[in-house]
Amino acid sequence: MKTAKKLGLAVAVATTMGMSSAAMAEEVNIGFSGPLSGGAALYGENVLSGLRMAADEINAAGGFDIDGENHTINIEALDDQYSPAQAATNAKRLVQESNVPAIFIPHSGGIFALMDFNVEDDFLIMAYTSVPTITEQGNPLTVRIPPTFDGYVNAFTDYAIENWGTKLAMGGATHEYAKIWASMIEKAWTAKGGEVVAKNPMDYNKSADFFTGVSRLVSEEPDVMFVGGASEPTGLVMQQARQLGYEGAFIMMDQAKIGEAANVVGGLELLEDTVGVMPLGAYQTDAAQNFIKRYEEEYGKTPGSEAAFNYLALHGLVEAMEEADSMDPTVVRAALGDAIGNMDVGKNPYEVEGVDEKGGFITAPTMAIVKDGEIVEKEF
Amino acid sequence: MTTFLQQVFNGLTLGSIYGLVALGLTLVYGILHIPNFAHGALYMVGAFMSYFFMVDMGVHYWIAMAGSAVVVAVLGIICERLVFHQLRNSPPIHDKIAAIGILLFLEAMVHMFWGSEFRRMSSPFGGVMNLDGVYLREQGILIIASTVVLVVALNLFLRKTMVGATIIAMAQNREGAFLVGIDANRVAMMTFAISGGLAAIAATLYAPLNLVYPAMGHLVIMKAFVIIILGGMGSIPGAIVGGMIIGFAEAFGGYYISTAYKDVIAFSLLVVILSIRPQGLFAKGAH
Repeated sequence: MKTAKKLGLAVAVATTMGMSSAAMAEEVNIGFSGPLSGGAALYGENVLSGLRMAADEINAAGGFDIDGENHTINIEALDDQYSPAQAATNAKRLVQESNVPAIFIPHSGGIFALMDFNVEDDFLIMAYTSVPTITEQGNPLTVRIPPTFDGYVNAFTDYAIENWGTKLAMGGATHEYAKIWASMIEKAWTAKGGEVVAKNPMDYNKSADFFTGVSRLVSEEPDVMFVGGASEPTGLVMQQARQLGYEGAFIMMDQAKIGEAANVVGGLELLEDTVGVMPLGAYQTDAAQNFIKRYEEEYGKTPGSEAAFNYLALHGLVEAMEEADSMDPTVVRAALGDAIGNMDVGKNPYEVEGVDEKGGFITAPTMAIVKDGEIVEKEF
Repeated sequence: MTTFLQQVFNGLTLGSIYGLVALGLTLVYGILHIPNFAHGALYMVGAFMSYFFMVDMGVHYWIAMAGSAVVVAVLGIICERLVFHQLRNSPPIHDKIAAIGILLFLEAMVHMFWGSEFRRMSSPFGGVMNLDGVYLREQGILIIASTVVLVVALNLFLRKTMVGATIIAMAQNREGAFLVGIDANRVAMMTFAISGGLAAIAATLYAPLNLVYPAMGHLVIMKAFVIIILGGMGSIPGAIVGGMIIGFAEAFGGYYISTAYKDVIAFSLLVVILSIRPQGLFAKGAH
């Protein structure tokens, strides 16, 4: 299969060269490395679905031009099962075999691993993670797609202390991302005069049952509980807390989505008084609603932010290549901010305004609160 | 006191599930000497079959459980016939490799048909009883009761029926069993069927408390192996006692120390017990 493809490509290249400069569509490979099997497979597939949707749209519209030559997009996806080491191997392979100018990667561990050699190997990292330190390292070829979570930490903490009370029980999870989140929220919470009454993070990969951990948190009678991880198990934790008689509020880490957690527990009622990130479906803008409709037609399910952010990022990347008339990562990176800012709003469900000097996408930060069984948007 | 009782209940619930999964694993190991790494995948397929029967076909929880047990029992027999039986004269390492192969195959199959979404399967026993501050989940009570019934039934079957006696004979002495004319093929198929059925029942009992997804087997299979090493490879009482030890260690360790350390506690127990009794709590063959 692979050899056949390569052979085909060689033949295609040979014929194009033979036909001198005939206008023939050339494929630009874009890399992806993420979990496509194992416990986090769903997450990886969601990210990939957004990329594929953007690629299909670009190709259906006839591709794009670089230096007067027509090009189409091809996504080369490799499975890394969330492992940073595997992600690094995948990246090397993508660069050597498929000559990719950019690699999309949706987990911080893998991103850090790739940042060790991306400048040397000359490819752009399209980082889908909200860990703030990614863009603090000054890597010139790394772009962070979603907003960083430090903004959420402060906004959620402020809101919770003001409205719900000062006693916080820390649930959360044991993976690296959740640990960073937890330490930041603990710091913010105590700095604002709150008190942390219990700490019991859940191990979503090794725990068969959360009842024990949750009962420990509930027994300290907190006002607010910090929960997070993948949406579905997070929903279970919240449901079990309610079953154990907990009536307080929840702070939901940005990895979990209110809508998806509500699906698991059967409605928003159990999630009353939860602060979390704004679900894509709750954005009333045309850009968002239009994207949701097209995604649902294509995949038969409601998209999450993973799909939407990566969708718009690939569109932005291609626009930047077109505008810069180049596939060189440094040139494309420089053109990316303007390209995204000027992009057609239909391709930009979050209405990202540009890219800041450190490489982060600029979005208006919002949070969502579940009040009286409904999701309410709050700006901060 | 209430928190203590609460952890006893949690430990019993967890221990029962671990015990049921380990029971199937230890049966196959004790009788056929195959470390069936695919057992966790059978457990996962059991949950998906129940989900399919309950959610897609709309049948009742109990019928879904029975249906799933039958399907997975047949799947176990197919694995035995197509894979392990063919390898009966090969070195033991081939069984291990084949088991891992089956694990990957089953996961990929489920992934293909159902995708990787987390699914929620609720049972009719979703309520929570509050006994003076101790929260008893109805599903938890059901799990404990079902485990008791299944273990007693399995014991009666093995001890009181002729068919059961042939299984035990195989476990005790293979050559002797052949000499008295026991059909090894039948015993092997039956063992895999029972093992698969138990895995499916355990999964169906447990799924309503958690989520159904292709990687769900990984959670229990590692613990099940720890349990049968702890209890003694091939020992039925060892699987149950081992399951309870791990279940209680997780519940109490998770509550009184920290959920972050509960695996450390469980594995420290394993180290301590194995250094005192290297052959496991119940030596092999103690049926």
